[in-house]
Parts: sequence; structure tokens; C-alpha cells
Amino acid sequence: MSTEIEVPYLDISDPSFAMHSEEVREARERHWYAKTNYGFAILRHQYVSTLLKDTRLSQGSGKWPAHNGVHSGLFYDWWTKCLLVLEGEDHHRIRRLLNPAFSFRHIEAYVPRFEQLATELVDAIIDRGEFEFVHDFAEPYATRVLCILTGIPESEYPTIARISSSIGLALGITIKEDLPEIDAALAELYGYAEALIVDRQANPRDDLVTRLVEANRDGDSLSDDELRNALCLLIFGGMDTTRNQLGLGVQTMMQNPDQWELLAAHPELARNAVEEVMRMNPTTTWVTREAVVDFDYEDLHAPAGSTVHFLTQVSGTDPAAYPNPGMDITAERVPHYGFGGGMHHCLGHFVARMDMTIALRTLSQRMTNIRVNGPDEWMPDSGNTGPVHLPLAFDKR
Amino acid sequence: MHVSVDRAKCDNHGQCTFSAPTVFRLNDQGILEYDDDVDDSLRADVEEAADVCPMQAIIVTD
Repeated sequence: MSTEIEVPYLDISDPSFAMHSEEVREARERHWYAKTNYGFAILRHQYVSTLLKDTRLSQGSGKWPAHNGVHSGLFYDWWTKCLLVLEGEDHHRIRRLLNPAFSFRHIEAYVPRFEQLATELVDAIIDRGEFEFVHDFAEPYATRVLCILTGIPESEYPTIARISSSIGLALGITIKEDLPEIDAALAELYGYAEALIVDRQANPRDDLVTRLVEANRDGDSLSDDELRNALCLLIFGGMDTTRNQLGLGVQTMMQNPDQWELLAAHPELARNAVEEVMRMNPTTTWVTREAVVDFDYEDLHAPAGSTVHFLTQVSGTDPAAYPNPGMDITAERVPHYGFGGGMHHCLGHFVARMDMTIALRTLSQRMTNIRVNGPDEWMPDSGNTGPVHLPLAFDKR
Repeated sequence: MHVSVDRAKCDNHGQCTFSAPTVFRLNDQGILEYDDDVDDSLRADVEEAADVCPMQAIIVTD
């Protein structure tokens, strides 16, 4: 005799929906998943860890443009061919060719440049005692990191930031009305990417774009179109996420000033601080999958085509996996899923981990008593979140 | 060449299976299985697998 389970329901697209809420904690306590207005949401760490890698669930973003009435155009063509949404052999082939350029040992070489950049940005504001975190630090830092990686002149970062924000409109529900701006921005980005590819084919050097141009496995290499698509994904995927995660990082640290002081005294803990921030306050609040076939797991029955969201913040604060879920930058933890997981695990995670480590370390070395200094503005908690506007004041250390 | 995987670090993402599919594979339960004694002809592939592992869990020794 089986007991009927009452599965919780969450309205995850409600603008007031909050991941950090009693409603969500209560749902996680009651059951391992919830029903939502977009299919299912997985809440507990153990289930996220297992099901995120289940091959019966495919990456769920491929049909996003079509679901919102977009069936053609430059963005549509790029999105449906980019690594993020590819599956099976097409995905594995391109992922294999891209992966080595993003490996730890290649990214480590950029550390001195990232440190120089963080110091330059902090130097510019340190005597002011106040700054707008997004405009004065997170956006120039995240964008110039991408310029450094790709070899685009850093002086062009405002253009790259504008392009990236315009393409980012494609992830919003107004994608159809924003399409002319999105397509125009992508065309501009194609121009940058194509110029980089032509240049490195003629003038190879020791950098990431050259490694992608020269990537070759068993005689197979990336075509010019595949290279362009990958570079555009790198810039688009790397900029907004890093900018937003840095804002969430500072927010989390402000809520835990003892941890900020601990980090200042022990800069070697910065890498762990990034992991704690992403566990407790990830910018990607959900990772989307779609059931390829009728998907059954325990009492969950998701018909083929159903959307399954993995709630990263909710699983990252699950007391069953994290008995002391408060921030502790000295703790050894089981992994969080802020970078997704499985075959679609974030390609650029070593870059993100490295540049955010350097940013938090540099900021904590120079500033103390950071506090909000005026009206702040935040994106909703659904999908990708972070500050739009975050005025801060601080004391110089 | 000897290959080992630190199971405390490995999170079964399977990126290694793209680099060296004849050495690393995920079983039906999604758990990593691998050969620990590998011919030297596969060194480049195995070292690439170790390089790209998100958890840096693969150790290659002679």
C-alpha cells in the first residue's frame, strides 16, 4: 500500500519568487522535488548530483527561441548550433576540441594579468570611499578578463559589454520584440570573432584563440564557423555570468563580515570563498534540462518534453549535504552545482574560478566595512540573477 | 603508464570520456569506470583527460 505523496508546488516565474525563502526551504523539507509552472524543480543536493548527469535529460535551452516565437535569424542560427545546446556526438566532438584550451594549466598563465587588472580597478576607487560595484568594478573586470583571454584590445571593453548585454536580451521573455537589437549585436560580435580567427591563422601566438584555431584531434579540427560560434559563446557566456556572480559574491561577504575579515587575514582562502559564494548565492539559480524520453525516477514521472530545473542555491544549502550550511570559507564541502554538471558542465569554470578568486582576494586586501550606500537594484531570482545597480561604501584598509 | 582517479574528488561529470574514450567511460548508473594500466600510445589522450577534468581528480604516473 503506497502512501500518496503531496508534492509541493512553486510558482518560479513570479517576480516575487525567492530562492532564499521559507516557502522553498519548506518545500525542500517536504519532498525532493516540486512541481512548478515550468515543469519540475529538483530541490535536494543528492538528487541534483545524480540527475544532473542523467543522459535521459538533455540540455533544456535549445528550444527557448522557438518557445518564444523566434524561428529564424542570426541569433536563432547561432543558438541552435552552439555548444550549449548541442547533444550527442555533435556535442562531444566540439567539446573535446574546445576543452584543452580551457584547462587549468593554460588558464593559470593569465593570473598575473588578472591580478594587474583587479589592482588597477581598485586603485581607481580606493581613495573615494564609495563606488558603484557593477559599473566601477564587476562589469569592467569581467569584460576586460574576456578581452585579455581573446586578445581584443581592453580599451574596447565598453563595446563588448554593450554587445554582450544586448545578446543577453535573448534569455528574457521579450526575446521576440528585442530580436532586431539581439541580431545586430551578434553580427557585431561575429565581426570581432572572425577578425581574431583570421589573425591567429596568419599569426599564431601563445594564447587561447590560437589554441582553439590549432585544436586538432585525430585529424579533426574546428571549422571557421565552429570557431566563430565558440568565441561568441565564450564572450556571451563568460561576461554576464562573471559580472553577476561577483555582485552576488560581495553581497554574500557583506552578510558575513567575519568571513570577509578572515579572508583578508588569509588570502589563500580566496578560492574557497568563491566556492562558498557560489554554493550559497549562485547567479545561475537553475540549470535547465528537458526529458528526452518519458523520465521516471522514484515517484517523479516527467513525460518526454517536460522541463526539469535543478535549483542550485536550494541544493547548495540543503542541510542533508551541508550540515552547517552557513558561510565558512575554511570548510571542506561536497561540490555545489553552480557550474551545472555532467557533459554540459561549464566550459569556462577554471577561468571564472580563477578571476573571481583574484577579485575577492584583491578587494578584501584593500577594503573593509563594506556596506550598501544608496538604493540598489537586483534582477529577479528566476534563471540568472545578480545586481543591476549596487552602490557601496567602504573603509580603506 | 598508470592511471588513478581520486574517488573523493571525482564527481562523474564524464569530461574525461571525451578526451580518452577507450580509457574512461560512464557505466549505466553514470559512475566512472576506467582502465588503470594504459598503453603509452594513449598518453596524449590520458594527459588531456587529466588536464580538462573539472575536479582535477585524475592522476597519471609512469
